[in-house]
Amino acid sequence: MTSARGFPQLPGLLPFLVPALLTGGGVALPLLYLVLRALEADPETLKAILLRPKNLELVRNTLSLLLGVLLSTTLLALPLAFLTTRTGLKGKRLFSILLTLPLAIPGYVGAYVLLAATGPGGLLPLPRLEGYWGALLVLSLITYPYLFLGLRAAFLGLDPSLEEAARTLGVGPLRAFFRVVFPQLLPALLSGYLVVGLHVLGDFGTVSLLRYETFSYAIYLQYNAAFDRVYAAWLALVLLLFTGGLLLLEGVFLRRLSLARTGKGSGKKAKPISLGWFTPWAYLLLLLPVSWALVLPLCALFHLASRFPRENLTGLWEALLHSALAAIPTALLAVGMALPIAYLVVRHPSPASRLLERLAYMGYAIPPLALALAWIFFSLKSLTFLYGTLPLLVLALAFHFLAEGLGPVRGALYQVPRRLEEAARTLGDTPFRAFFRVTFPLLWRGAVAGGALAFIGAVKELPITLLLAPMGYSTLSTRVFSYTQGAMFAEAAPFALLIVLLSAAFVGVLLWTERRF
Amino acid sequence: MRLGRFVTLIGIVALGLASAQGQTLTVYSGREQSLVEPLVKQFQAETGIRVQVRYGTDAQILAALQEEGGRSPADIFWANTAGALGQAAAKGLLRPLGETLLQQPAAFVPASKAWVPITLRLRVLAYNPQKFKPEELPTSILDLPRFAQDKGLAGRIGWTPTYSSFQDMVAGMIALHGEAKTREWLSAMKALNPKSYASNPAMLDAVRAGEIDLGSTNHYYVVRFRRAGYNLGLHYFKDGDVGNLALVTGAGILKTSRNLVAANRFLTYLLSPKGQQYFAGNIGEYPLVKGVVADTHLLPLEEALKKSPRLDFEKLPLDQALKLLRELGIL
Repeated sequence: MTSARGFPQLPGLLPFLVPALLTGGGVALPLLYLVLRALEADPETLKAILLRPKNLELVRNTLSLLLGVLLSTTLLALPLAFLTTRTGLKGKRLFSILLTLPLAIPGYVGAYVLLAATGPGGLLPLPRLEGYWGALLVLSLITYPYLFLGLRAAFLGLDPSLEEAARTLGVGPLRAFFRVVFPQLLPALLSGYLVVGLHVLGDFGTVSLLRYETFSYAIYLQYNAAFDRVYAAWLALVLLLFTGGLLLLEGVFLRRLSLARTGKGSGKKAKPISLGWFTPWAYLLLLLPVSWALVLPLCALFHLASRFPRENLTGLWEALLHSALAAIPTALLAVGMALPIAYLVVRHPSPASRLLERLAYMGYAIPPLALALAWIFFSLKSLTFLYGTLPLLVLALAFHFLAEGLGPVRGALYQVPRRLEEAARTLGDTPFRAFFRVTFPLLWRGAVAGGALAFIGAVKELPITLLLAPMGYSTLSTRVFSYTQGAMFAEAAPFALLIVLLSAAFVGVLLWTERRF
Repeated sequence: MRLGRFVTLIGIVALGLASAQGQTLTVYSGREQSLVEPLVKQFQAETGIRVQVRYGTDAQILAALQEEGGRSPADIFWANTAGALGQAAAKGLLRPLGETLLQQPAAFVPASKAWVPITLRLRVLAYNPQKFKPEELPTSILDLPRFAQDKGLAGRIGWTPTYSSFQDMVAGMIALHGEAKTREWLSAMKALNPKSYASNPAMLDAVRAGEIDLGSTNHYYVVRFRRAGYNLGLHYFKDGDVGNLALVTGAGILKTSRNLVAANRFLTYLLSPKGQQYFAGNIGEYPLVKGVVADTHLLPLEEALKKSPRLDFEKLPLDQALKLLRELGIL
């Protein structure tokens, strides 16, 4: 029960507060160690590190890739979202689902397919795309769905009367679009940009396999090949600054935009636009990303899998087992941590609980390589018994995928009537008991969905696994990576196929919980 | 069908019992799983000794061994580079080996006697034979930048800065020619805008595909591509040139080992005709024990030994090489 002033009674809430605070600490602490490790350098080394010409090159590479992907995803997602919402095309819903599915392709699988399918001796008679253009192509094709989903929702929520008002004032259709509709899409665009941007900054698999050195790749190289841990720590810090900048920018822009409808009455539905002669072209446009980002990779994967050497099957089972052994505890832990945080956020909203939630989302926003490095330093300094063990990998993965679990859990909790819990409380239950007797049974759907998302996320995950897995512990994702690096494309195929099929289930779960369609 | 299943079941049970009774050998291997796993299985089948292998990189294993200290479960450190074994010996992690083992290899037995060399690989120049004739290729790797300049190969050279053997070669260059000369060579190479590859097969695949024309690599990668039916050129520089640097793989027994008998058997097996034949036949490395049937793709062992400069392989200045590579922004 809360008192009249809205202060929760502490003793009853403790079972929620303690785990929630532990979780918050688990995100913040390793980062502190990262900073400490970076500051350990003596001034001489520090000067050398900060003045390296390589830094400029990394900033240039990272920024140009970021801007390039944002531009190309906009050019893709905007027309696609428009076509699937505002036009009279047939099969719009099916296309919407198909256009979302490329989310199921992890970056390193995309890069693997590109390398295996092109170049002489590849499946397609195309020159091999590597470096900047290769990374741009792969990252654009696998991240545009984030933008597409946001824009789609925005288009569906638009109030066409504004547009119509503009048209009655004698503005042409195109100008009306850019002066009236486009500003209303900005919030969706910006939040989409944030997600895409975080992906690009955090991406390691694509850029490393296609040999384009950004910050994420450089961190890995310094840690793994040049054995320069201090420099790796500094690079991770700079990458964190970039991420923070992105978050800030988005916050600043969004606050300036306020586009809510005023007045009563609901917005009316827009009339579908008929495209006339353009219709076949529109279908072609819709099919383009589907064929490039779905059909082609799947065909390539099946084709390559048919060349897979049979004697390697044992390795496949071992990798599957290893992936499961890491991902199952990760999912349980992530949901276990999400529950108390979601409870505090939903039932006792306060600046403090909102901060906790922010922290939980931070774990997701932090580029995975920076996070992995932070956990390495943290465990070496204060949890030495954990260093190089499976529990450490599970911990880091759970903190990274906590946000994946938090979304569905929080959503489900909002839908559970508070009165039920209060009824139990008046019958003498503590908040903890009331929660588990009354609320939790209604929450299971959200918890299962959250757990499923965290599980699949952990199976797909590459950089954290690469850095924190025990020596010799190869999972599905690390196998795809190492085989691809060794140009052993046939060997990588079944591992990649398993991951893609699992990820497709991920998108299914996502659509099921969000009921976007 | 039924009977087959029954037999399999019996087999599994028998195996389980055998492993419960038998001993388990723990090997930390810096050698790649895909290369050596079949040999480990062969050893298991022949001796009945169960072998547990943890695969990693040499550097990872060295770090892990120091981390684990006296609690380490490892019996054997099987490494890709003499440098890593030399470091392990210098840190006192390895126990001296018996003379019977050390007498087997034809060369490269370390002064510390703490590990035994098992195979040899040479650095070579892989190239596209449709682009160059063998006789026009440079006689020293130090002349490679000038050669590439003359031939207009900017952007068409590959290298593998993150790969340990490449780093060893840079360290060898420092040991033989001094840091200034090495810096000059690396800078001249870098000015040619080479493509960095994460692995040798990826680089050779690019040579095969005509994306680049040449790159310095380990000889057995070229052998493997040739066996797969791809026509790749393999060029040795003049005898004693650092571009042909010999790299020794080897293994040692850890002081923490409690399975000395099994560990000795494992090392003996690696040096046995069967083991050495595997390295020559399946991987394409040079066997270090005489009397193994050489592969047509390989030189006779005596000739191969003459190619490389003579250096103390345990003491290659690897840290200096890494520092230089970082300084120049190559790593």
